[in-house]
Amino acid sequence: MVPHYPVNDFGPVMKGMVIGGVGIVHVFLAQFAIGGGLLLWYFERLAQRGVPDARRFVDGFFQVLVLVSFVLGALTGVAIWFTTIQVGARTIGLMIDEFHWLWATEWVCFSVEVVAGYAFVRFKAQLDDRSRLRLLALYAVAAWLSLFFINGILSWQLTPGTPPGEGRVWAGFFNASFWPSLLYRTCVAMALAALAACIVINTMDLDRDRRAALIRRASRFAAPIAAMPLLALWYLAVIPEDSRGWLLGGSMPMLMFVGIAAASSLLVGGYAIVALIVRRLYVNGATATLLLALAFGATAAGEFVREGARKPYTVRGALYSTSIAPNEVAALRASGATADDPYPLRDAARYPNGQLARGAKVYRALCDACHTMHGANAVVELSHTWTDDQLRLNIAKLQHTKSFMPPFAGNADDVEAIAQLIEWERAGAPHAWSEHAASPEIARWLDEAGIR
Amino acid sequence: MMWPFDGDSGGVLALYLATLAVHAVFASYVVAGSAYALVRRDATAHAVRTRLPFMLGCAITAGVAPLLFVQLLHQRRFYTAHLLLGPRALAIVPALIVGFYALYLAKASDRWHRAALASALACFMFVAWSWSELHELMQADPEWSAFYAAGDRFYTDAQLAPRLVVLAGAMATIFAAVAAWFAAERRPLAIVALAGRAVSVAGALWLWHAGFTVDGPARGWLDLLAAAAVIDSIAWLVVAWRDQPSALMVATAAGAAALLAAVVVREAPRVALIEPAHGPSGGVIAFAIAVVLGAAAIAWVIRAIAPSRRR
Repeated sequence: MVPHYPVNDFGPVMKGMVIGGVGIVHVFLAQFAIGGGLLLWYFERLAQRGVPDARRFVDGFFQVLVLVSFVLGALTGVAIWFTTIQVGARTIGLMIDEFHWLWATEWVCFSVEVVAGYAFVRFKAQLDDRSRLRLLALYAVAAWLSLFFINGILSWQLTPGTPPGEGRVWAGFFNASFWPSLLYRTCVAMALAALAACIVINTMDLDRDRRAALIRRASRFAAPIAAMPLLALWYLAVIPEDSRGWLLGGSMPMLMFVGIAAASSLLVGGYAIVALIVRRLYVNGATATLLLALAFGATAAGEFVREGARKPYTVRGALYSTSIAPNEVAALRASGATADDPYPLRDAARYPNGQLARGAKVYRALCDACHTMHGANAVVELSHTWTDDQLRLNIAKLQHTKSFMPPFAGNADDVEAIAQLIEWERAGAPHAWSEHAASPEIARWLDEAGIR
Repeated sequence: MMWPFDGDSGGVLALYLATLAVHAVFASYVVAGSAYALVRRDATAHAVRTRLPFMLGCAITAGVAPLLFVQLLHQRRFYTAHLLLGPRALAIVPALIVGFYALYLAKASDRWHRAALASALACFMFVAWSWSELHELMQADPEWSAFYAAGDRFYTDAQLAPRLVVLAGAMATIFAAVAAWFAAERRPLAIVALAGRAVSVAGALWLWHAGFTVDGPARGWLDLLAAAAVIDSIAWLVVAWRDQPSALMVATAAGAAALLAAVVVREAPRVALIEPAHGPSGGVIAFAIAVVLGAAAIAWVIRAIAPSRRR
């Protein structure tokens, strides 16, 4: 039996936008914290080798890191967990089942990171040089290890390698996209830290020459950004062929986001390498902020691409975006999508007949994860040019209608019910609406479509 | 193996309860400490105020572990209750963010510190209330369907209010036990600890009246909780009267025992509801190694900063 969870409606906001919004902010802040740890260790070393103002920068930058990353970074991490439960409880459950010990390991790394970070902030002025450097090294290593572990879990969603539930955790963890993803994220983290450093340096009470000297040091830290195009190509090479095709032209929106991510990264990287490292130009606070905003745009587009590349799955081969496993589709075709759904409709009185109410339950079970009725990615808008027959055919043969859609996990009556619901919504939700029996053709289309 | 750790999920349950207890220590310091710093003007209140952001950071970090383990023990129930509360459950995060920054403001500003502490306290009370609701709703499966259909976002079970009273009292006692180790004047903290115990006992009686019972093997843990609370109260009386370090040591040890017994007693009604283990999973050795290395690293940090703390 398919486990059913209660479903919340986020109004005109698509659920992917909720998790995407939280996720992008968290990824950006977390990568900033990771790169920040490495950068601080580097600057502390410079300070101990006599580079002027480096220590002042370390102490000031860490304050920013604590205020931004330790608070917002940590709590948006919890927020991701919470929003993922709201959006796809079975997905997060599957990931927890598979990787709970590695997730717990990541938590240990995070704990060490927090303790080392707070210890440095509180006692930095009293610590000797050796302790300062070691504490920063511990902070940086723990922060990077937390990326190491979470990266394995996240990259597993697209390239799981082995089916979940077999206990082959390490094979899944070190999956095909693990290394390119880890190295790419490490480069991003270093670039973000360097850009944030340029902003902080511009706020320091120093003359321009001394600030320029610090900026040149910080810019060097962004140099790994030059490796990002190669790492991106490596990533594209190891992801499944259909996902790659989908990103590189199969879907215009995805191609656009790939383009935005690539162009933004190119602009940031180009500026960092050509202007800051090669020509040793000065970057003021406004420009550095603009570059960081551009990097945020690149992060957002990159995360959108990473999420989108998995479609129609949330865990490739194991769970569709509808939170239904591929091996459950056949049973749902027989029983109907909502036969075992224990949750009634919250707005049952709105529907003039039982068929529309059934359609609303089918919509909630199979569509609501990625669509809205009238808001973002609205089914009414997406289908408004389809004829009545085309609507039923496209729903019945969903995975053939669009390659990023999962197979329809219901029977012919479900198809008719949801088609009626869409037509009723298109008609402005009138008070009276007659029921229609499902035609035999729908069952034939479902059979032709298959369950994969 | 001793109940409740004798089942298939005994190891995960032990980790869940142990990490929950650690989280409770930090969370108690933050909640009761915010209240203490809000109403008192002594040196302890000032010191507590400066430590609150750090303690909240620790509370949130420590809270991630039980949040992980509860998803193994009660995955279906936890997710269902979370989804049923919906935006209410999600509001925990912005409340914590506001509370976190309010604590930083309270630390940095003499002018705004009372308003900031009051705001932070309100945020934390909302979180405690929401989390207690979630805990109750997780166990109320016969009500889930009707709760969902009604579109409710507030679960008002009869045990909710007494549970919060027990929690408030326990937090005060735990806060006092931690703060007393750093305080020059311990008597006010001893009074807080004793008042907290009294509130907890009153809340426990109310909870029992509302239908919370402890039977079978859990009874032994309740007895341990009662004994530890009695010893801890006597020790706090001695601290209040004569301020002996040895009495504080006894109060802390008994308080720790009471906390461990309390988390088991709190969990007792849910033990029978624990889901079967979710299939094989590797990585436990990596986790064990990480725990050892992580503990060593944290011990090293404490040692490294020790001379600075003495200065």
